[in-house]
Amino acid sequence: MRGIARKLSIVLAVVFVAAACGGATTTSTPAATASALATTPTFDPMSYMSKLQTNGKIRVGTQEDNTPFSVKIPTTSKWEGFDVDVARELAKAIFGSAADPDAFIEYVPVVSATRIPSLTDGKADVIIKTFTITEERKQQIDFSDVYFITGQRILVKKDNTTIKEAADLAGKTVCAQKGSTSEQNMTKATDGKAKPLLLDSYPACLLALQQGQVDAVSTDETILFGLVKQDPNTKIVGKPFSDEPYGIGMKKDSGGDRKGFVAFMNTWVGQLISSGTWAKLYEKHITPVSNDKKQTPKG
Amino acid sequence: MIPGAIVFEFPKDFFGGLWVTVQISALGLAGALIIGTGIALLRVSPLRPLRWIGAAYVEFFRNTPLVVQLFFLFLGLPLIGFRFASDTFDNIFRAACVGMALYHGAYVAEIVRGGLLGVDKGQIEAARSLGLSYVQMLRFVQLPQTFRSIVPPLGNIAIALVKNTSLASTIGVADLLFGAEVVESRTFRAEEGFGAATVLYLFLTGPLGFAVNALERRMLIAR
Repeated sequence: MRGIARKLSIVLAVVFVAAACGGATTTSTPAATASALATTPTFDPMSYMSKLQTNGKIRVGTQEDNTPFSVKIPTTSKWEGFDVDVARELAKAIFGSAADPDAFIEYVPVVSATRIPSLTDGKADVIIKTFTITEERKQQIDFSDVYFITGQRILVKKDNTTIKEAADLAGKTVCAQKGSTSEQNMTKATDGKAKPLLLDSYPACLLALQQGQVDAVSTDETILFGLVKQDPNTKIVGKPFSDEPYGIGMKKDSGGDRKGFVAFMNTWVGQLISSGTWAKLYEKHITPVSNDKKQTPKG
Repeated sequence: MIPGAIVFEFPKDFFGGLWVTVQISALGLAGALIIGTGIALLRVSPLRPLRWIGAAYVEFFRNTPLVVQLFFLFLGLPLIGFRFASDTFDNIFRAACVGMALYHGAYVAEIVRGGLLGVDKGQIEAARSLGLSYVQMLRFVQLPQTFRSIVPPLGNIAIALVKNTSLASTIGVADLLFGAEVVESRTFRAEEGFGAATVLYLFLTGPLGFAVNALERRMLIAR
């Protein structure tokens, strides 16, 4: 009997702690809402932005290990990166700029393959995660206007002299992320002669490169910048062999449940770029790895 | 749209993947039975150090996640200069088979040990006093009775192993789950793709369950 009582008390303690944790995240929101009330933008009450304001938060799908775009710092659990700051600017545009934008953001961790399902299943309101706009994807979801442009390149070990261009990947083992456009681009660029090893993340691909399991890693240049920063014994080679325009992903409007969201998003993306905020974010997150500066996504 | 038609639109991903899953399952199971029997014999051996080795093996492989073991075999072993094959795709395939055998070998060992201990002590003593050596006693008295009693629990391990092969997709092995994931990312037809993969897994595990039941009945008659 005593054994059962003890087990029960442990279970209760766990439930209590879980409840306390859950409570902590939700209670911070109303206070923040109150202080931001003065500057909160007003929207058409039928619009999705107004619905988000009522909910008091926006659910942003992004990846936990996608430097320099999004990364969750393991020691502090804080999110950082270009995409994360874009999400914060978006939160300011919807909820007002007075308070800490993180108070209005619920981060939903995604990987390449789960981006579209998390939108269509209603787990995230937006996906801001190096999300290439393609015709096939447009059939499933809506994209905002382009907020970033990059191209696919190749990462090899520093002492590699045989791989210089995409065509050199023929017959080579190349790592890419499962469910990404990178594998399809690579297949196209080599007439299907490259042998793709598909893993779940680019850090895993980098590890496979370091261990000599693959000859190269190929994906968007900006992601490769992040990998080179992690391992200085690697280098990026070749000209970009694809055009990767990133957009912010949203669920398609059905019966007015996303009313006005795409139009709002496009106006906001335009302002983000024209106001110079975009250039500041680029300089903060991308310049340290790319050593260039841009005023707009096109350069 | 006919349910399951997606399988014939992408036969290479689904049937090719299914074949890889079958291969890993068969090789992994064979390995697990051999390793498991060996480790079980260590665990019941009269020598204490051998028993310790057996126990350490079981505790290690049973108490660490299979995914972690697979990643170690795939990306950890090259650190110490070892790989199963020079070709990367052979390497990950063999790493997956070895991973399945090592991990499930620990479970098989526990089952075989239970079977060995289940044999009446009097029979073992009788065999030994009749002049059979320890090895002869195992061969003619203890092991045959053990294998008969452990068929049902081994069947469960075999089914679990078939399902666990899906973890090999995380190290890039193009198995059935991997095929479904690739098709999903190309077509966005998640329900169809994973639904078809589920049915194909059932085609493997269902008959396996029947076979084990039939074998169990036959063994009962033979006794």
